[in-house]
Amino acid sequence: MADAGQPSRRIDVQGLLLTCALVALAVLWLAPAGWVLVTSLKRTPDIIRLPPEWIPWPATMDHYREVLFSSSRTARIGRAFVNSTIIALGTVAIVVIASAMAAYPLARMRFPGRNLVFVLIVGSLMVPNAVLLIPQYVLVLELGWLSTYQGLIVPEAAASFAFGVFLLRQFFVLMPGELEDAARIDGANAWQVFTRIVVPLSQPVLAALAIFTFRSAWNDFLWPLIAVNRPEMFPLPVALALLRSAYSAESYGPIMAGAALSALPLLVVFLVANRRIVEGVRLSGLKG
Amino acid sequence: MRGRRSRTWLTAYLFLAPGLLLFAVFRAYPLLEGLRLSFTNARLGRATYSFVGFANYMRLLDDTRFQVSLTNTFVYTVGSTVPILAIPLALALALNRGRLRTLLRSAFFFPFTLSVVTVGLAWLWLLDPVVGPFNYYLKAVGLPVRSWLADPHTAMWAIIGTTIWWVTGYYLVIYLAGLQDIPRDVYEAAALDGAGAWRAFWAITLPLLRPVFLFVFVTHIIGSFQIFGQVFVLTMGGPGDATRSVVQHLYETAFQNFFQFGSASAMAWVLFAVILVFSLLQFRLLRGHTEY
Repeated sequence: MADAGQPSRRIDVQGLLLTCALVALAVLWLAPAGWVLVTSLKRTPDIIRLPPEWIPWPATMDHYREVLFSSSRTARIGRAFVNSTIIALGTVAIVVIASAMAAYPLARMRFPGRNLVFVLIVGSLMVPNAVLLIPQYVLVLELGWLSTYQGLIVPEAAASFAFGVFLLRQFFVLMPGELEDAARIDGANAWQVFTRIVVPLSQPVLAALAIFTFRSAWNDFLWPLIAVNRPEMFPLPVALALLRSAYSAESYGPIMAGAALSALPLLVVFLVANRRIVEGVRLSGLKG
Repeated sequence: MRGRRSRTWLTAYLFLAPGLLLFAVFRAYPLLEGLRLSFTNARLGRATYSFVGFANYMRLLDDTRFQVSLTNTFVYTVGSTVPILAIPLALALALNRGRLRTLLRSAFFFPFTLSVVTVGLAWLWLLDPVVGPFNYYLKAVGLPVRSWLADPHTAMWAIIGTTIWWVTGYYLVIYLAGLQDIPRDVYEAAALDGAGAWRAFWAITLPLLRPVFLFVFVTHIIGSFQIFGQVFVLTMGGPGDATRSVVQHLYETAFQNFFQFGSASAMAWVLFAVILVFSLLQFRLLRGHTEY
């Protein structure tokens, strides 16, 4: 192994070459995303100019202004942005609360039916979402929830619930029990132990679950595509897909401005809590 | 003592209640309801419907478009499996140690934070046959250019490439976690026995990563049999039906043409069965004890 023992000069050169190659590859890997941003900032006549120009100069915010505020075309990205925020945050709230409350007794209490409940919930991770599409639509239709926030939030939360239980149970099982016992001796009931001891101790894993759920709710496409038919209720992915058909193929400016806007919140989360996201993904793989 | 035990029982189920309600109403019930619908001639707006036995399933045997979409979905799944297993693994091995690794990992992970629509739009523009940069650079280095998304021979490969770009970061992180779980002293012992890096990779890394492979396999199979968004944005199933996928066919059957919920539900259950068979096959192939 390269870093065992004294590093020799030869290995340093090798390592340096590898790093350079990887940096080049990473730059290339990010180029498609960079191209979206560059395009969104260019003036319309500059966009389709060849050879491709990677510096958007002179830059313009016109495309952002158009997709955010103009009502002349079908989809308004500004409104979709608000919708997506409400849907994603609502989903996160339900998933984090419901799965923490469910995972706690599954990890720390003994009661009849515990294994059955756990197996059913985790087994449902194998059920493809596409299989539930039609019956879920019928259900939401009968509830009168089509084109409503709850019609988007609740099924979305139900879809992430099983993963949340799986992830949190794993964490709760490994948690040392002394603090819980101490609280119980002091007369705290189960709910108090849960809210005052367990939840504060699990903040990192709860944050990972929240980010993970936010990502899937923010980015989900198929369910909102069928569950919403009023344009003012579209979340971002649906609004963007329709933006594409609203503009002719050459109008890449507004489309790319919309695409860049939709990537913004997760980019910010990603820059702030990079480690959390990676941790969440890592934990999601533990079932393997 | 008895009272205490029944109190625990009650407490546990009170904690479970909100989640179980959500799960029962929006997961378990729709699963069974979908199975029931697949044996009916239900349509949206039709007040009454009747049971038709296996008629919806039998009709799929004659539905050539369904069969084409099933074949396409197979091609996509098979064609994407090897790159999805190999590319993130190669990156993980390269990024397991060394300079700048956190920064580099983030770069490769970033596309996974995007929605499938954003990813699709980005590649639609990159692959634009006339003014897209991809063809421009290909031409610049003397390679042949094509209308990648409009050519039936390349459209599916363009979709596979787009998907690889999108999900590689996710599997990279999974592989990195797997690599970090392999104890260091196994490698040290192998080095003492005179095994080189290449030998260590085949004799230690690959076998010990078996549970990770299983996870990546199964996750990828479940996901790729349900491919929809990439197709919807990039090709709409075209050219012709060259990239039409099962979920797209299901979506159109249920929500665009005559709202045939019965036959679309039958498609969903055929898809479910296929995914289940494939996942179980993977478990069979890759199961076995992993001992350090």
